[in-house]
Amino acid sequence: MKKLIEIADKAKALGKQTRVAVAVAEDANSIGALCRAASEGFVHPILIGNKSRIEGLLKDYTLPAAGYTIVDLPNQDEATREAVRMVKSAEADVLMKGLVGTDKFLKEVLNKERGLLPPKAVMSYTCALELPKYHKLLLISDTAVLPNPDLEQKIAMVNYSVKMAHKLGISNPKVALITATEKVSSGMPNTIDYALISKMAERGQIKGCVVDGPLDIFLACDPSSLEIKGVDTPIGGDADICIFPNLETANAFYKGLMLFGDGELAGLIQGTSKPVVVMSRSESENSKYYCIALSCLMAEEI
Amino acid sequence: MEIRKLDQMFEVLASRAKKRLVAAWAIDAHTIVAVAEAVKIGIIEAILVGDETLIKKGCKDHGIDPAIFNIVHCEHDLEAATKSVALINAGEGDFLMKGLLSTDRYMRAILNKEKGLMNPGAILSHITVAEPKNYHKLLIFGDVAIIPLPDLNQKVAITNYLIKTAHFLGIERPKVGLLAASEQTLPKIPSCADAAIISKMAQRGQIKGGIIEGPLGMDLIIDHESAVIKGMKSEVCGDADCILFPNIEAGNTFYKTIVKLLKSELCAIVMGARVPCVLTSRGDSERSKLYSIALAAMLA
Repeated sequence: MKKLIEIADKAKALGKQTRVAVAVAEDANSIGALCRAASEGFVHPILIGNKSRIEGLLKDYTLPAAGYTIVDLPNQDEATREAVRMVKSAEADVLMKGLVGTDKFLKEVLNKERGLLPPKAVMSYTCALELPKYHKLLLISDTAVLPNPDLEQKIAMVNYSVKMAHKLGISNPKVALITATEKVSSGMPNTIDYALISKMAERGQIKGCVVDGPLDIFLACDPSSLEIKGVDTPIGGDADICIFPNLETANAFYKGLMLFGDGELAGLIQGTSKPVVVMSRSESENSKYYCIALSCLMAEEI
Repeated sequence: MEIRKLDQMFEVLASRAKKRLVAAWAIDAHTIVAVAEAVKIGIIEAILVGDETLIKKGCKDHGIDPAIFNIVHCEHDLEAATKSVALINAGEGDFLMKGLLSTDRYMRAILNKEKGLMNPGAILSHITVAEPKNYHKLLIFGDVAIIPLPDLNQKVAITNYLIKTAHFLGIERPKVGLLAASEQTLPKIPSCADAAIISKMAQRGQIKGGIIEGPLGMDLIIDHESAVIKGMKSEVCGDADCILFPNIEAGNTFYKTIVKLLKSELCAIVMGARVPCVLTSRGDSERSKLYSIALAAMLA
């Protein structure tokens, strides 16, 4: 897969309408992306919030009345709670954040009784990047949720990203554990974590993928660097997934590529029992549309 | 030539220029007899440092001609240790052996910052070479005597000593098994975690000269059939030349099991100083002491 639009093609090919419950569905961007997905027939939006405002936003689109549902709950807290409840009780397949603060939204998602995170599950974030200069989509984690993942959280990041790769049709993804060097040293604790994770994968304790690390981004994504550096790695400059040591690194990596490399992305919260879409205001409408398509794929039980 | 039996060290040494052993406070029968044997079979030359009267008496008691040794007279054990180390540093000897003085005093002379045998930052460790019955080759392992609970850096140092020892015994690409409680990478079990890290370091070329695999249980390290049953594909499994032990208890128990239960021969040296050091204990057999001298001479 080279382009994010192929995710939407895959979502269409599911041949069904995934029900997306939107908490406070009152922002134009989200409605626009949802209407595009709905008009292409793979999403049924459940728009929860102030009915008159939602209808006002829908005027710009020509969705048939049967193509969406509106739940009139003008109170933001109630709308958010209802959206989460619908997903938890399988009345919807995907949860999406609308015009509600991320903190308030995630607090409800993380609520022990009412929320969507299974006990002890690690919440993380994986996104798929489309990069003009790379020959396929690149999944990266964690750009948004875990500031300083420990070993266990890093393992969760690997497993979530591998699961996403599988859903995208990449059967045995190559996972590169990224840091500044390929050498293992106790002075750089992330390299120690990476040595452990790659050995765990070698021993079959992490399945469905090929893992190697520590590696730098060249060894992960540029085949010509292998020879120059003389490093033998099964990733071979052909990574499907890059795991970053901390949020700052991952965040700067993807934002740099958005800004200077004409990249595009689609990301999802990981670890929840159902897909959760949280998009930032700065994302393009295309990007939001891809996020929704990705969430439809991830909602499928395979 | 690859040494597969401890006796083969004698052949190799006989064909080489003789290395010079310096024995510190070599006044006891155990030391004198072992060194005399090594001199008689023509594998070393020896300097005995100690009280000349006592050394000569020891020789006489065991029918040994004191003229086969160079004797350097000293009044006390501590003086003998210092003098022995000084002889090595002056280039008059190639390797060191402990006589009747305490291990503590012997080690202190080696470790002395100004006058000792250590390079800055070097790690002193103990390496054993055993010829266990029922195993198809020698087994080189450590540390069973000096470092109680090696940390990661010390384990890397010991691994390098194992490989170096194997090279001196003619084993070109020794297979090193990193012993742990399980072959699974269980991050909360230090033996498993360190073994995983060391094996990754080896993959990255940070440890050279051997094939390194771990974490592995003892069954996988020395028994090919276990490796087949468990589906472990490493070429180390069932054919290891070297074993890194995660702690002294595990290593020491293995050592003593080989000697006392398997009735097999082994020998040992201390590595990490500028020259190999022999550190036999009174409990070692005469044969074992002779092998230890030979091993040190191989590495000197």
